[in-house]
Amino acid sequence: MGQAIHKLTNNVNKSDKMNTPHKLLIIDDNKDILSALKEFFTRKSYEVFSATDGLEGLKLLETEQHGFDLVITDLVMPNISGVALISIIKKRFPDTPVIAITGWGEHPEALATEAQADKVLEKPFELSELDKLIKDLLSPV
Amino acid sequence: MTNQKIMVPQLIGISESIERIRELIEHVADTGLNVIITGESGVGKEVVAQNLYHTSVRKNKPFIKVNCAALPDGLLESELFGFERGAFTGAERKKRGKFELAHQGVLFLDEIGDMSINLQSKLLHVLQSGEFAPLGSEKDVRTDAWVIAATNQELEKKVKKGLFREDLYYRLNIIKIYIPPLRARPEDIPPLIDHYIKKYASQFNRKQILKPGPDAMEKLIAYGWPGNVRELQNILKSSFVIGNWEETIDDLYLKSRSAAVSMSEELAIEGASIVDVLLDFKGEYSSDFDSFSLKKIKKKALDRIEREVISFVLEKTGWNRTKASSILKISYKTLLYKISDLNIKPPHSKPY
Repeated sequence: MGQAIHKLTNNVNKSDKMNTPHKLLIIDDNKDILSALKEFFTRKSYEVFSATDGLEGLKLLETEQHGFDLVITDLVMPNISGVALISIIKKRFPDTPVIAITGWGEHPEALATEAQADKVLEKPFELSELDKLIKDLLSPV
Repeated sequence: MTNQKIMVPQLIGISESIERIRELIEHVADTGLNVIITGESGVGKEVVAQNLYHTSVRKNKPFIKVNCAALPDGLLESELFGFERGAFTGAERKKRGKFELAHQGVLFLDEIGDMSINLQSKLLHVLQSGEFAPLGSEKDVRTDAWVIAATNQELEKKVKKGLFREDLYYRLNIIKIYIPPLRARPEDIPPLIDHYIKKYASQFNRKQILKPGPDAMEKLIAYGWPGNVRELQNILKSSFVIGNWEETIDDLYLKSRSAAVSMSEELAIEGASIVDVLLDFKGEYSSDFDSFSLKKIKKKALDRIEREVISFVLEKTGWNRTKASSILKISYKTLLYKISDLNIKPPHSKPY
């Protein structure tokens, strides 16, 4: 996949030059959580894109020219669920790491793992926890 | 024949929700991920399924539909998975299941909410492993059927009541397409009417097309359409027969009013009967209230609810008491006690 290869080299360049911010895509149908995450990671100097459901997220993924460095997605959402989104991302953009966030009392974690989310984070979580996960995934050993 | 095109049922409408459904179809048709289509009866769930199929790369492979509510459990099972020759008395030859027939194509499971718990487990297994064993066969068969399910029921509620497997619910709910009822998107009514008038005019071979005038159209838009698009289709067909819109619309409103009245009557009767049954008055108000106590009434009400719930679960599990007790979260012994205490009887028709 041409796009994937392009993205890979792009990643390498980025870790060389620290001045280019990492691009995050965050998808959650809970607008409060979404804006909190957006604010937090913008302050941490990430370039943050957000979507409130799977379809909007998928559209951003398809149109964003240079792709995203990392995707954070809720699992249970209207129309395209996080589970579906993860399998689509892993097929079309196999090098993009994905963190799945699961809500209270929901049990699709097994599906998220099956869909190959790189990390699954359970709500409630500390923002610093998520921050650390992102850093780990973006700076491979 | 001038029309040589393959008949793909069109998704008609200009509302935001229909636009969004079209967009969803475009984006998910090639993912092969499970889809569930929800919405009231008659909104066009099968049309959406057909559109998904025709948009996908599977369009030249089979589209197989199974109505899960139309068949009793055992038959539905052999319909889905097939059987080997001699699998049971009467299985004189091998029958291929719909999962096998839909290989590389689409398996459309309509009315999935009516599937028994027993079959739900088997369906879940196929969705997880991509394999199934026909009845009486020792070999697993691989299937690459794209499963699209549909229901007019609220599966979340069924999950909470233990009547629908939660794991299956999440697996089907990977992509969800909800079609709102027609009354929630009245702007779709005129284009739907236009579309079907054209369609039926050519079907009935009528040159003269009867279009509703502005007044008639206004009434058609204001109508509640409890039967959704299917009802609208029927009304249009009957307008062709009746020959004028005024009469068609009068009939429509008359029918809906009498339906509403009979429904409210039913509710009133039901409400009264609960009090009657629980208080044991039956219309004869006795002067002495000695035997009357809230505690007794509570017990009676609880018994009645318990009886109904247990009967319902037993019926859904095909009187499998082990399963029923696990759904009800009571011990097997307690369930047996309740069955005899509340005098719940198995259906006579089934031999045990």
